Amino acid sequence: MPSVSVIITSHDRPALLARAVASAHAAGRDVEVVVVDDASEDKTAEVCRDLESIKYVRIERNQNVAGARNVGILNSTAEFITFLDDDDLRLPDTLDRQASMLQSKPDAGFVFGQALIDDGSGNPPTDYYPRHCPQGDVLAQLLTQNFIPCGSVVFRRSCLFRVGLLDASIPGIDDWDLWIRIASLYPVQAVAQPVMIWRKSSPTSGQGTSHADRMVVLSTRQFQNKWSKIARVRVESDEARQQISRQFSRNMGCHLLVEASRSLSYGRLGEALSNSLIAVRLHPRGTVQTIIGAATRSRQKRAAATITNVSVRETK
Amino acid sequence: MPKVSIIIPTHHRPHFLQRAIASALNAGSDVEVIVVDDASRDDTSSVCRSIAGIKYIRLDHNQGTAGARNVGILASTAQFIAFLDDDDLRLPGSLDLQVAALDRNSAAGFVCGAMIMADQDGAPTAEVLGPTWASGDVFWQLLELDFPVLPLSVVIRKECFSKVGLLNTELQGIDDWDLFVRIAELYPVLVLAEPVGIYRKPTASSGQLSSAQAQHLSRAARHLSCLLELPRVRSLAPKDRDALQSRALNRIADTLLWHAREATNKGSYKFAVNNVVSSLWIAPKRTLTHVTYRNLGPILFNQKLGASNLDH
Repeated sequence: MPSVSVIITSHDRPALLARAVASAHAAGRDVEVVVVDDASEDKTAEVCRDLESIKYVRIERNQNVAGARNVGILNSTAEFITFLDDDDLRLPDTLDRQASMLQSKPDAGFVFGQALIDDGSGNPPTDYYPRHCPQGDVLAQLLTQNFIPCGSVVFRRSCLFRVGLLDASIPGIDDWDLWIRIASLYPVQAVAQPVMIWRKSSPTSGQGTSHADRMVVLSTRQFQNKWSKIARVRVESDEARQQISRQFSRNMGCHLLVEASRSLSYGRLGEALSNSLIAVRLHPRGTVQTIIGAATRSRQKRAAATITNVSVRETK
Repeated sequence: MPKVSIIIPTHHRPHFLQRAIASALNAGSDVEVIVVDDASRDDTSSVCRSIAGIKYIRLDHNQGTAGARNVGILASTAQFIAFLDDDDLRLPGSLDLQVAALDRNSAAGFVCGAMIMADQDGAPTAEVLGPTWASGDVFWQLLELDFPVLPLSVVIRKECFSKVGLLNTELQGIDDWDLFVRIAELYPVLVLAEPVGIYRKPTASSGQLSSAQAQHLSRAARHLSCLLELPRVRSLAPKDRDALQSRALNRIADTLLWHAREATNKGSYKFAVNNVVSSLWIAPKRTLTHVTYRNLGPILFNQKLGASNLDH
């Protein structure tokens, strides 16, 4: 039996699929690659027929990413599972490394790593995330922000029998939700090294993640209805819960403003405005804090610049 | 490898569960019984751990019936899947019967049988509910809710889930209908006349999830518009599609009003009003016609008659 199942979901985007599959095979000695074709209407089926040693599963009626990932899990056999998007890359040998980490720590639920960010500019990726890779009990941190690159996670199949499958009703944050449910019951491990290359979405790439406003609305609802009601969160003190909720709100506000400024840089005024408005409506406090923080920083920067100028002039 | 897995999702009902499990173990010669405990906080786990020969899965995060069934499907090692609710029963040998039917017809997606209705104590009544249509393409009947089938009465080929996806966890109470429609869109369905299970019929006050009928039927009415987007429906002429939609909505309204009348007879007026209001939303014209001519009409007429009798 293979040690890791890599589940690659694909919908009408066969261009980069072969590369993703090859990277998955190179990432471990004993890897099972399951390609889930989510009712593509293009050449995806043909492309997959040419690929060697994959398990090809074709869904006839489109299920969205989370639903397709669940079908992939159903068709996989390994003890450890990881997801890979069809436009991302796994780095060589990283799956073996993560699998052996899980083997040596039987109580850990999953192990995640860093992702190099491919911004689509054609230049080699220089940026990566997350900067810090916390280990152990990461629930509180994870509740306020999804710092885990989805494709970097290798998780234990047995976790699913305690926390359930991916929630297909929250496409786009389904992975975050699963990590939270797992982290509420299991300690987590991390490698502070890149294990994958993540292709960042741009407004033109048509990826789900480019709809920041929708994601934040969905996350906020999920936070209020589900995450804040997790048994381990409920038993926390009022103060601790309030702190988590404030931090969540601040991060969401910040995220929307960053996305708004990105939209602005792409010349998408409407999107920028809608992001900002949602930020203010859902997370007034977090948004105001972010804006004040940014303004103070830029004033400090200006002040620093003035001082440098002055000192430069003085030395002249 | 077992031939068929029977998945029993359960939540806070250990007293019924034991009987259900016993019936599942007896229902076939090569059965894998999977009990998915959906985060119960009572003695469900100790009850399950005391029963030999079952696979017991305990969820720590409540997933709802559909989510728990999905976890059961993931745990299954068999080629065929059956479901059983914790307060229903499977009849002895019924799984063998259905598995044999699927083995004989390799193209069929699932096979369904008839169900014996039981009262609140689980005692069988003489009422037997079964599909009235022959085996084959029953997609349209299922879509129009004209095909009595429940998770209790089916055995599904597991590969269907890879073609149409798993159960939709957003559709509490109607996730089964949604699944059957999606499978029947692509696969022929087998129909057996034999009863395969005993269904504990919900009543207005039983506290079973199915007694939230108004809610579920309203959800079905809303979800219908999604199902009308399925390719086979889209291939219809717009006129036929509209006709199909109104037939289905009228059927939902009829069901709601029928339950409303039953409830009125038993004095549960709140339930009845609830149903009439829902029905009014779903199919206003149908509801008004019904209420005026079949219910309100006769009542008013009788009263008038009574009044005129007094005059004389």
